[in-house]
Amino acid sequence: MMALTFSLKKTPSQPLDCSQLTANGLAGLSLVQMKNLPLAKSNLKVADFFEISGDDAQCIIFTNSTSQLHYIGHKMTGGIITIDGDAGDYLGAKMQNGTILCHGNAGNRVGDQMRRGLILVDGNVGNYCASRMIAGTIGVFGQVGAYLGFAMKRGTILLTQTPKLHATIQSCGKHTLPFLALLFKSFCALQTKFSEIQSQRVERFAGDLACGGKGEILVMSPTEK
Amino acid sequence: MMKINGIHIDDTFAEAFNMRGTRVIITAQNLKWAYHAANAMTGFATSVIGCGVEAGIERELAPTETPDGRAGVSILMFAMGSKVLMQQLETRMGQCILTCPTAAAFAGIESDDKISLGKHLRYFGDGYQISKMISKKRYWRIPVMDGEFLVQETTGMVRAIGGGNFLILATSQPAALAAAEVAIEAMKKVPNVIMPFPGGVVRSGSKVGSKYPKMFASTNDAFCPTLKGAVKTELSDDIESVMEIVIDGLSFEDIALSMKVGIEAIGQLGEKSGVKRISAGNYGGKLGPHLFKLHEILAK
Repeated sequence: MMALTFSLKKTPSQPLDCSQLTANGLAGLSLVQMKNLPLAKSNLKVADFFEISGDDAQCIIFTNSTSQLHYIGHKMTGGIITIDGDAGDYLGAKMQNGTILCHGNAGNRVGDQMRRGLILVDGNVGNYCASRMIAGTIGVFGQVGAYLGFAMKRGTILLTQTPKLHATIQSCGKHTLPFLALLFKSFCALQTKFSEIQSQRVERFAGDLACGGKGEILVMSPTEK
Repeated sequence: MMKINGIHIDDTFAEAFNMRGTRVIITAQNLKWAYHAANAMTGFATSVIGCGVEAGIERELAPTETPDGRAGVSILMFAMGSKVLMQQLETRMGQCILTCPTAAAFAGIESDDKISLGKHLRYFGDGYQISKMISKKRYWRIPVMDGEFLVQETTGMVRAIGGGNFLILATSQPAALAAAEVAIEAMKKVPNVIMPFPGGVVRSGSKVGSKYPKMFASTNDAFCPTLKGAVKTELSDDIESVMEIVIDGLSFEDIALSMKVGIEAIGQLGEKSGVKRISAGNYGGKLGPHLFKLHEILAK
């Protein structure tokens, strides 16, 4: 079985809704059916924009991806989606489980209402990352926009630099967290910038305190032991 | 007649029972604290008769062998039934691992039968506990005063065997104990087994029943050296002390190997060590489903 690859043929002039292109969204579909799948809310079909190869929907790859591809991994329940390039808004929104690796930048609302699973972005993300997050893990290696973790209930956001945070996310100080050893070990198998992180030393922020405060933002300090 | 370096091996067998067993991996900041946790967890766990479980440290684990990359030890725990095992594991996790500075606990055995490691312990977190699914396994992070207590949700429970044993009959108490110590050191290297008694050795072997109606078991008078002239004894004139080593393990083969390794280690010492005979404890072969025949085990 080869990874199911969606290779973008041309840069779309309009935003594309990719929410169907998940393991659960494509389950049981033949190649022809996949090609004829409408990109939601438009008359355009998958085949108009993507070259499709491979057959393993548990392992989906987007190549030549751009920020016009929205809702990648929407409501996904399992498998792994790799994005070679940028992703648009709502990456992994309402995600139920599985893994998303984005090697470029991602737009606004990454992991909005995400319930479980893992999203790792090597580049930067836009505003409202992890908004209304229910649980799961989001890692952003680059910079994050405004209103990070807005109304998040639970879940973990991993960052490499301290962002500007709103008032209802508060620092709990610096700590060495044992579970990070297991988490980082699990990243080793994934090809991402997070694979090389070793240090369990983080500054922990709790939030959104307006929504229970059980979520956390962990800012890593890669140089500290 | 079987002899090893002049030590007589009785043509008898050890009789063992079905048990339920589990393995837990305990890690900590260093081995010292992993041992503090593990020793507490396996304390007062010599015999199911009075302790509920029989438990012991199986072996040390290098940082490369543990889930979190810290030094650790693996613990085996056995009980007569799954209910007792579950209850004892939870109690011991709560009082001995949760409490021990820097300690963390992980599943040490895979099985479809899962028992709670941190599943209920998490409520100690009073709502501040955090669940994390990592590589399809659920862990709990419980805030405690030294930082965070990390514990896996469940560990596996497997069918196991308890009560493998052999007896060391020697010309003096120091000789019997010295030989037992040598055997234990060799047997500690065998995986999947523990010797649950103090230092691995038990001096109060028992028989079924008693003259007192309320007692289910009482001293094994046939092997008590001070009663040689008073009862129907199993001991010859030159035997002055008997020590027993009891083994619990995950399978028949594990226990058999451990018994063989232990008896052979004593065999190496030879008759001059004061050890005259090796025997085994049984109830006539009618109570336990597993019979470890000394001659067969040693012939393997």
